[in-house]
Amino acid sequence: MIKLRPEIISGIRSAASADELGVYLQNAIMLEHSTIPPYLTAMFSLRSGTNVQIARQIQEIVIEEMLHMAIAANILIAIGGYPAINTRDFIPKYPGPLPMNIGDLQVGIEAFSIDLVKNTFMAIEEPEHPIPIKTVELESVQYATIGQFYDAIKDQIQALGPSIFVKTTAPPQVDSPDWFGDRLFVITDPYTACKAIDLIKLEGEGTSESPFASPGQPAHFYRFGEIAAGRKIIPTPDGFAYGGAPVLFDPSGVWPLRPNCKIADFAPGTHARTRIEAFAYNYSALLNSLHNTFNGEPSQLETAIGVMYDLRTSAVALMETDTGDQSGQTVGPSFEYVDIQGGMPTS
Amino acid sequence: MSYLDSPRIHFRGWFQADVSTINNDIRMFQNDSFVPEYQQMNVNGSWNPKGTAVFRILDCSVTGGFLDGRALTTPQDDAVIGLTVQNSTERAPGKLVDLDPQQQMVSMIFGMQVRLAGPHAEALFEGEFKPAPFTNLWKRQQTGVKMDQQLCAYYQSVLDHVVWSGNIDSNLLTALKAATQDDMLSINFNVYGFGRDPSLPRYTMGHLVGTIGPYRRGEPKQFVLGRQMLSFLTMDDFPVPPTNVNSLQALLAPDGKSLTADFGNTFPIVDASGAPTNLGTVQLGVLRTNPQARITTVESSDLVLIGEVPYLNETWYTQTAGVQTFDLTTNTEAQQLVPTNPLTLVTPLPGSPPSTYNVLMQESINGVYVRADSFVYRLNPGETRQVQFYATQFGKPLASTAINLSSTEGFMGGSGGGPTVTPPTRPTAAIPDIGTPTDALEYLDSVSTDANGRATLDLTASADGPQNPRGYIAGQLYGIDYQLADQPAGYISNIMNYISVLVFDKKVVPDRPTWYQDIQPLFTQYGNLYPIMSQYVVDLNSYDAVVPRIAILKLAFSLPIEDPNHMPVTRDLAAGDRDTILKWLSNPGTDGKPLLGSPPTQPVQIEAPVTPAEPPAAVEPEPLQGAGKTLFIRQFKARRRAKLERESGGE
Repeated sequence: MIKLRPEIISGIRSAASADELGVYLQNAIMLEHSTIPPYLTAMFSLRSGTNVQIARQIQEIVIEEMLHMAIAANILIAIGGYPAINTRDFIPKYPGPLPMNIGDLQVGIEAFSIDLVKNTFMAIEEPEHPIPIKTVELESVQYATIGQFYDAIKDQIQALGPSIFVKTTAPPQVDSPDWFGDRLFVITDPYTACKAIDLIKLEGEGTSESPFASPGQPAHFYRFGEIAAGRKIIPTPDGFAYGGAPVLFDPSGVWPLRPNCKIADFAPGTHARTRIEAFAYNYSALLNSLHNTFNGEPSQLETAIGVMYDLRTSAVALMETDTGDQSGQTVGPSFEYVDIQGGMPTS
Repeated sequence: MSYLDSPRIHFRGWFQADVSTINNDIRMFQNDSFVPEYQQMNVNGSWNPKGTAVFRILDCSVTGGFLDGRALTTPQDDAVIGLTVQNSTERAPGKLVDLDPQQQMVSMIFGMQVRLAGPHAEALFEGEFKPAPFTNLWKRQQTGVKMDQQLCAYYQSVLDHVVWSGNIDSNLLTALKAATQDDMLSINFNVYGFGRDPSLPRYTMGHLVGTIGPYRRGEPKQFVLGRQMLSFLTMDDFPVPPTNVNSLQALLAPDGKSLTADFGNTFPIVDASGAPTNLGTVQLGVLRTNPQARITTVESSDLVLIGEVPYLNETWYTQTAGVQTFDLTTNTEAQQLVPTNPLTLVTPLPGSPPSTYNVLMQESINGVYVRADSFVYRLNPGETRQVQFYATQFGKPLASTAINLSSTEGFMGGSGGGPTVTPPTRPTAAIPDIGTPTDALEYLDSVSTDANGRATLDLTASADGPQNPRGYIAGQLYGIDYQLADQPAGYISNIMNYISVLVFDKKVVPDRPTWYQDIQPLFTQYGNLYPIMSQYVVDLNSYDAVVPRIAILKLAFSLPIEDPNHMPVTRDLAAGDRDTILKWLSNPGTDGKPLLGSPPTQPVQIEAPVTPAEPPAAVEPEPLQGAGKTLFIRQFKARRRAKLERESGGE
């Protein structure tokens, strides 16, 4: 479970204005985004034609994280804010804690493994009240959960009331039926804002009664659970079990990525360097296009989707590139924000 | 005005052209004979089967500039020096695309944005590189390591929809912004030293040096309306010009007091590093005479020297991109001669002072020249596009002069690959002829220039289109040669100057297109040829894989051709086929999915090409070379030899 610093909740509760509350919605955008690089990397590390089911499940989760990021951005816009997505600080440092985390969970950029899913991805997505899967080590530390974080935002939106919603939002909100159906909609008041937040919670955590966010679609925690357990989740007479169709994992179908690669790890003029830089540049282009999308150019969402596809293809050569240090590992992606393309020697 | 005018900036860096290579051989387009082996590395010379088609600029910075008659080389000279030249940071990278496997000599860049980045990476200007092909391809690189692409060329176009922003204290940029028109800038860049060996760091990469200058309304976008010096390279000698230097364009300033020439693609280089081959002293001059044929030497008495070309100077090329301005203010003789007499590039024979010079290159004979601005077209049935011609004599408009048009094969045709493919195609994929039927592309056989030396030619694809004459590959290629009607006897043209047209087939969009009937044949071909797409994004061979990706496919097939995410990346899909795909994607059946239809009861019969061409000429790749442009040229020359032999044998 992601444990958030307790002052986050008190900060939300004491927010007296849209501006003050907006800080936490920006945090929500950053939190939702922060899961995408590790999930994407795990998905990209699966070799073409292998582990197809796992790749599909992770991809669906990535798309929903993008939706959640978009929802948080829409709410921020609705109360008069401006999502900031195109900055170096927007991307957390990997490995490291996710935004607002108390620091107990280090999230890195690594190749897919069952351990990664169990220890990191499920920890990220773990609801407040699942069946406990591990002991809590820091009993004495006060923390809040993501669920509490979103609940506090909902409470405060209702407390501050309709007046914090601006009639004509400065940047238009993003409402894209082609890509997200009716799950991404314009936020106009406390009701629509709370409805949107409920969707984030539902898709991430499920409900207290059911692991399913919608029929046939388990919440993220349980979808990762399926991958870790190797079976789809199904209802049983006394609850739910990972007892459905197999979710097969072929360990040979994973590129042996060196974890947490950085551009500076590789010398200019190597394939590793030019390819990791190209990837980071494309990823930065994705953030820039998303920033434009939520800052006045909603049609740029399609540009961002186009960048996503080029990002996918630019990852292919990267994953196959030897790190050059005799380790047998290949180069993992870097999610550094770069706005200059380089990698070759200048002379 | 153009990049040869002042003010201008020069840049150098690297480019990546991550082209896919399975489609270099036309036989790979036959779905019925395609086998997965064809997708493997180095099979049939395919040196980058998983290419993405990405074209991008990297490690590229401004190395020099020119303003008010002065070359600028340091940040102290102007703050623009040292800034970086970048692509868009807000969208997918540009793409490099052949016209067709039977025309690989006009590869165009689509969807590339060029940005001058300020000290904080902010855009000082950014604009869209208007899609354009390379030209004046030749074997500039004299030696290479395994798989090196020793052919070099340049791209010239405009940056369109240029937006200026940011704020730096640069006189050059201020002047450039003031000088340019129509929100455009003129851009030219030379590409060389491209690596194709996967073990090289520069695999899929090469060097780039170029120039950006002002654009003036009404001027051509893909060449400079100026003086044209020609290497007199013939089809037989191609790709090595007779004197080992290649054609260039130059521009006389309106006041006649300076002459600027672009040597960026003129001089041979030793190897991929770009080190110049030493040709001795090279000087630009102007002839006192007007010879009506190629000359190989000139007496000093017939020549007025303009200046030496400092091509051996280490920093000259990188700081100027080979663009050299010669000051004529103190050379009154040259000032008098240049407007009316041919320029020449010479190297002195021994003697002090030399009495004779070897002529490396001279201006087009009698100074006359005609050029189609855009020379690559993709036409749908019933569509008309206009070709703009510019006729000049010594750089001045040639009014009321006729331009004759005729069909040509240019550098087109053949398989694009070697004599055979491994494993062999079953059924055999014949190499189709091009240019048939002749009536699918209509144009006048002559047009006349107006008072400004300009003429417009309508190219119209017939309403019925070529009707799939090539069988397993869609559409048909046509070449159009153009010449001035009254050019001097023995005139030698630039062999790159012909028009390439891909005419698409007509496809009537069915009421209810289905996967089996309409979509699978198209998607299977793309899936075969572009495994980066089919293996990593969506398996286009599979209905079940395609169905969950309807939204992205609808988007990609709807994007304009200039968009970097336009699908197919190869830009070779007929409008009727595109409309069919979009209709199929947009009209699901009762199950909510696009219509599957029924599998064909018998295998779809692939029609053999109506007029199968001669078998591919037996040309093996050179040792240490893969497939691609070099092989394309070797095969072209072998076909040409065989044709000439057949023709002479029939006499």
